[in-house]
Amino acid sequence: MVSLKSSSQKDDENPFQKGRNIKEKLIRSVLFIFASLAVIVSALIIFTLLEGSFNFFLGPEGSMLEFFFGTNWMPSGGDPSFGVLPLLMATLVVGGGATLIATPIGLAASIYLAEFAGDKVRNIVKPLIEMLAGIPSIALAYFALFTISPLFRVHFGASYFNMASAMIVISIMVIPIIVSISDDAITAVSSELEDGSLALGTTRWETTKNVIVPSASSGIIGSVLLGLARAVGETMVATLVAGSVANLTFSPLEEGQTMTAYMAQVAKGDIPPGAAIQAAFAVGLLLFIITYLIRLGGELITEHFTGGKEKKSHPFVRRAKERLERGWWRVKSILSTERDKVAALKNRYRKQKMGKVITFLCMIGPLLFLSYFIFNILRKGLPGMSITFLTSYPSRFPDKAGIFPVIMGSIYLISLTMVIAVPIGVGAAIYLKEFAPDKFYSRFLRRIIHNLAGVPSIVFGFIGYIILVEMFSVGGNLLSGSIILAFMALPIIEVSTEEALESVPDSFRDAARGLGATKWETVKNNVLPNALPGIMTGSILSLSRALGETAPILFITTMFAKNPPGGIFDQFMAMPTMIFYWTTHMKEEFQVLAATTIIVLLAILLTMNGIAIYIRYRTQKRRRW
Amino acid sequence: MSATAAKREIKTLEKGKKETTEETISIKNLDVYYGDNHAIKDVSLDISPYKITAFIGPSGCGKSTILRAINRMNDEISNCRMEGDIHWRGHKLLSDEVDPVILREKIGMVFQKPNPFPKSIYDNIAYGPKIHGVKDKDELDDIVEKSLKDAALWDEVKDRLEKNALDLSGGQQQRLCIARALAIEPEVILLDEPCSALDPIATSKIEDLLEELKEDYTVVIVTHNMQQAARISDYTAYMYLGELIEFGETEQIFENPQKENTEKYITGRFG
Repeated sequence: MVSLKSSSQKDDENPFQKGRNIKEKLIRSVLFIFASLAVIVSALIIFTLLEGSFNFFLGPEGSMLEFFFGTNWMPSGGDPSFGVLPLLMATLVVGGGATLIATPIGLAASIYLAEFAGDKVRNIVKPLIEMLAGIPSIALAYFALFTISPLFRVHFGASYFNMASAMIVISIMVIPIIVSISDDAITAVSSELEDGSLALGTTRWETTKNVIVPSASSGIIGSVLLGLARAVGETMVATLVAGSVANLTFSPLEEGQTMTAYMAQVAKGDIPPGAAIQAAFAVGLLLFIITYLIRLGGELITEHFTGGKEKKSHPFVRRAKERLERGWWRVKSILSTERDKVAALKNRYRKQKMGKVITFLCMIGPLLFLSYFIFNILRKGLPGMSITFLTSYPSRFPDKAGIFPVIMGSIYLISLTMVIAVPIGVGAAIYLKEFAPDKFYSRFLRRIIHNLAGVPSIVFGFIGYIILVEMFSVGGNLLSGSIILAFMALPIIEVSTEEALESVPDSFRDAARGLGATKWETVKNNVLPNALPGIMTGSILSLSRALGETAPILFITTMFAKNPPGGIFDQFMAMPTMIFYWTTHMKEEFQVLAATTIIVLLAILLTMNGIAIYIRYRTQKRRRW
Repeated sequence: MSATAAKREIKTLEKGKKETTEETISIKNLDVYYGDNHAIKDVSLDISPYKITAFIGPSGCGKSTILRAINRMNDEISNCRMEGDIHWRGHKLLSDEVDPVILREKIGMVFQKPNPFPKSIYDNIAYGPKIHGVKDKDELDDIVEKSLKDAALWDEVKDRLEKNALDLSGGQQQRLCIARALAIEPEVILLDEPCSALDPIATSKIEDLLEELKEDYTVVIVTHNMQQAARISDYTAYMYLGELIEFGETEQIFENPQKENTEKYITGRFG
């Protein structure tokens, strides 16, 4: 007995064992820090926004009363005024309008995909719609400005900059969000409900309309709200297409400046220093709060209101409703031409057919837009494509201009972003999935990381610039740009890594732990290798999105960077911002160069996405568990 | 199926006389495949009208598949293929001339898991009649009341028809689903293990209900529970691995089975 006890005590003090424990603890702490970085970043963002806003409101020119109730936004000039209503109004018209357009189309498309499309159609259309979501907003902004906007000018007498074309193009960005989340919600409705309805002798269309869509309504509403948050936070299209004159108007045919567009204007350096720049903090804070609330509402609805909740209405309302219903039914029965069952059934099938056709068109519409967009960009940009264009330097003369340093800038930028974002994102996910107990703090961490994904990109860019360049004097260089993009890419990497870890069966972990491996050893040797393809896919996808981002690095990049960056503290230019500058250039020749650059950017993005999809496809084929 | 519906002639499956042999559902050489899986193998039997016929057998023997063949719910499974035929009222139910939507209005179905729609109790019952063209609110009120009474649920819910059906207990939900099926006035009711998710009290309520229903309906029930089959059914079919092993009057099947396989199952030696 005694010897047994002492030997087990010895085991605890085994120097080898101790080493393992220290290492384990160390790794755990590092992972914890990675997971907690998002909290620090979020706190910094909120603190900076608040501090700037306070400075503005307490400053000589700022006034809360004027800010919230003033109807004039005139940041420069002798007597500036800062009433945010015009910016708010434009944001509402552009973002709300885009969501209004996107909602029926996206919902109908997801209905067709989930209920009527066969597997073949689904497998083709879903990736294409995802592709639509992957087009950088700067590329769509270019298309909106030179292709959509002229239509409104010619046919509806819209002004050169108009909110209508921004609305249309942003709705194209919102549709994929609505489609993918609504499709998930609709396919998640149990087949038992579907069977229950079909067994009552209803057509598939009637079942979809009356049972499936209402059952999925919380997910659908959630998708619309997420889409709205995206639309409200969209910067590049709003800036380039809707205009930069604050204008208190409802008319989409007129020019209007959204909140994001004002912040972009600050980024471009078009705003005189002083109160006008400080006002950007207040605008950023307001934008941050609005998008946060919209997203929060969406999440709450999706999580807590599954299934139809009973509606409590006043007896009077109920009776009135019933009376109305009776009346309506009487009208219907008088108008009804259905004399017998067969005629009625034919009519019901006719409705189903109509529903199918309409939802099909809604599914095809965005894809037609996608193909027209690609055709249009190729037609404009392809003639300018040449080896010289790819290998020479920017120039004042369009025929000599090239984008070599810009391509290199983007490549360096995204590489550095990867170096920063992937370890942090993957580490945070490992901590949350494998190490963290499901306690308040870990749920809080996860929530914070997800919220980071909802911060509008222009707010990221603005605050990133303020913190990195003005507070910590990192400078407007490759490092700052990468840090900003890294924290934008982080949430997607974290989420996809957690999903990948989730997909590794627990039996793998148990087997290793049962052989005496520590938690980290188990994760390192048994879990990570199996989750690697999923992690790579998620990382590549999020980095490709970061590569196409314009707004976050608008403050950082500079046209003065004539050479490819030589180190992380060098100035640089990236493709999206180059496209932005060339699109806004006065000379048409430069605008054409923007199209050529878009082609290069799209080609790189397509390659990255292709690699990600290939990895996913290959592992799905090889997976044995 | 919908594309052709507008053009072809649709049979309405009108009711015949109660006594005629046409009311018998006769399954003839039925084969059902799910992809490569041969789920039903050459099954033939006659289901008598206004009686309770029970299908029993171990899991995966194809008893639910037969049920789903009778009202063509198998049409909704994309890789499902059916051969052979089912005759009822002079029509071939599996042929193109019978529209599944009309067929299902005549042959109602209740599923294993209670599946009320996330709507009010009233709207759950009114759902079918509304779609089938009831346009008068008073008529609808009557249908709702009658269906709930027939399903022995009326007294429990009459004061809260506007409440969400999901708030009901499991047994109540299942009776609601039966009421929902009755509301469209079918002539046959298929029940797929309707009590498997219910406690004994709820189960006995449903069994009592089925006894009453056979006065007006042809009832086909799939059950896991042999005592249940013995208690309530008039005829019993025993199935094993997709084949019909034995079919006859319930008493005979349980007291004097002709096949060894049947006897083994009934006496609980496997299954």
